[in-house]
Amino acid sequence: MVSYPTRMGDGHPISMTRDQLMADIIAGSEHAADRGDIPTLDEGECDHLLGLFMNPARVVGVQPGNEIVLSHDIGTLHLTGDQANSGVGIPLSRVQAIQVHERAFAADTMELAHTDYSWKPVKPIIAMEQQELENALLSTIVPLFYGAMPNLGLYYAPDGPLGNPSDLLPKGKIKEALEAQELAVEQAVRDMVYCCGKIAEVGGDGINLDTTGAAGDADFKAALLAIEELKSKHPSTAIQVGMAGEFVLGLHGSLEYNGVRLAGLYPHQQVKLVEQAGGDIFGPVVNTDTGKSMAWNLSRAVTFVKACSEAAAIPIHVNLGMGVGGAPLFETPPIDSVSRATVAMVEIARVDGL
Amino acid sequence: MSDLEILEAAKAAVIAADEDAATKVARQAVAQGLDALKVINEGFTPGMREVGDLFERGTMFLPEVILASEAMVAAVGVLEESLPDKKKDGHVASIVLGTIEGDVHDIGKGILATLMRVYGFQVHDLGRDVPLTSFLEKVKQTGAGLVGSSALMTTTMVGQKALEKMLKDAGVRDQVKTMVGGAVVTQYWADRIGADAYAENAQEAVAKALELVGHDR
Amino acid sequence: MSLAHGAAAGMGGIRTAGDLVARMQLTRKMRIAEAKAYVADKLTLGVEELSDVTVMREVREDYDIGIVTSVPGCAKGIKAKMHIAELLDVNINSVNRMKERT
Repeated sequence: MVSYPTRMGDGHPISMTRDQLMADIIAGSEHAADRGDIPTLDEGECDHLLGLFMNPARVVGVQPGNEIVLSHDIGTLHLTGDQANSGVGIPLSRVQAIQVHERAFAADTMELAHTDYSWKPVKPIIAMEQQELENALLSTIVPLFYGAMPNLGLYYAPDGPLGNPSDLLPKGKIKEALEAQELAVEQAVRDMVYCCGKIAEVGGDGINLDTTGAAGDADFKAALLAIEELKSKHPSTAIQVGMAGEFVLGLHGSLEYNGVRLAGLYPHQQVKLVEQAGGDIFGPVVNTDTGKSMAWNLSRAVTFVKACSEAAAIPIHVNLGMGVGGAPLFETPPIDSVSRATVAMVEIARVDGL
Repeated sequence: MSDLEILEAAKAAVIAADEDAATKVARQAVAQGLDALKVINEGFTPGMREVGDLFERGTMFLPEVILASEAMVAAVGVLEESLPDKKKDGHVASIVLGTIEGDVHDIGKGILATLMRVYGFQVHDLGRDVPLTSFLEKVKQTGAGLVGSSALMTTTMVGQKALEKMLKDAGVRDQVKTMVGGAVVTQYWADRIGADAYAENAQEAVAKALELVGHDR
Repeated sequence: MSLAHGAAAGMGGIRTAGDLVARMQLTRKMRIAEAKAYVADKLTLGVEELSDVTVMREVREDYDIGIVTSVPGCAKGIKAKMHIAELLDVNINSVNRMKERT
């Protein structure tokens, strides 16, 4: 029986037969469809995926004309950052890191980011970030985002003034945990509006609210409220929203936006709220299960993202990297896997960018 | 109510996170002379299992899970009164939980702590950014049979490996089962460092913990 | 990762028309097909040519909108973006800010 080299969700090499690949493709798609209450991939789309896995080439690519736009969340930290953000520790200035991406890495857009990568710690150093962005805007051509996370976790003890829901909930202090999250929403919106407003003032092309929802439904609500306020004040500054996971974690459970409960929303539902808030680009996330094959994971991710792309009226830039979007959970995901995931996201899920 | 109706009502009360309904069903069961263990094992426990599944699917949320567990605890309290041996310490097992030092991510670990309590574990949650020595001290102090560590960064997951060694050097590794988890952690990593189990998410972690202590889910 | 994405599906940044198509997504919320059609129309090119370096190298020089090899005398940085704003009829915040101050 002929078998084809592929990988597990943790990146380790395995080989699978045609039938095994197809069985995992169907199972992965059915898993997403069941969870998200969305359609499975059709026969032709499953065959397309199968073709990618059976293709003997190390790197695969989209057909000419199907190219998409690349945005780079975490931006400059890819080069200057440490292991924790998959950076490679090159001692460049951040303006240089942007220029390297523009000139050497063929970036269509780029992002300036601070090491802490959260809006709260950016607030006291926002003038430095403005200065750096101004310098970069003068010397580069591609659209520049400034990116950071809402990261409501920083508003809870011990980093912030509010009680920590992660401590309160297990103790049964539900009322206190819910109140802490509601207060954190207010404080995070204030910080995001302040910082993003400063970025808009110096001419930044866009804001990236990255890893939104990492601290649950309150995190997502804060982002949506911040977008609303920012778009009313700075309509020409684009806002990209990147998510943290495939469904919004219900740490509060009752928070709503425009009458829609946020907890438990999947990408095709998340994007509609981002649109209502005024967001310009949406970055869905689908997590990789390291115990399953890449065929299972990619099929599952594509099923979710296709439903999101079909529901969307704004561009979709799917998160595709370490442990998300069908790519293996590995610091430097293998190029064979990444290129297959990329092609599937473009040609089956019909994303507008990565 | 028939016996079957009581079991169904017990399950439904837990899923609805309705403490009043759960205790009412428990009292009804006692009044009708039903076997308390049967009501727990075939009524309330399947309800709690369903709650765990709904949470994993993103259709039930953490505060509701906690309310559901409180409903179950209250109902079991009523039923325990009718147990002949009145077994008060009904913990499945004891676990020391924490996020490795240097890592401040504790949302996933917090969810796990909640679910483990729901499933009857005694949880010693050390919190986040926990020095490795604190895991060891807590194991010695409590005699816990399980140690769970979480790491969300590639820079802190190495602490899980160091913890394995520390437990071994202290001579307590054979007395405990170790579990690892967190966004960057994999089964491969668990195998490599010699941990007893890895779990992809909180629900799976509970299932594996039950397996490790020889308890049916 | 950036290189893998770029090789598999990237438009090519300022080697081609990647930055221009991206601008239409940022400024007008255009999906990829609409954004490409808009830019192709402005440049009087076919959509497939937008990702072709041999075509776009000359086009970028002709419109003076920035060239990746940093040709002496050609527009760079904010100057190139001024030309892009005019060519695509879009707002570029940093360009507007520069104009307000000069």
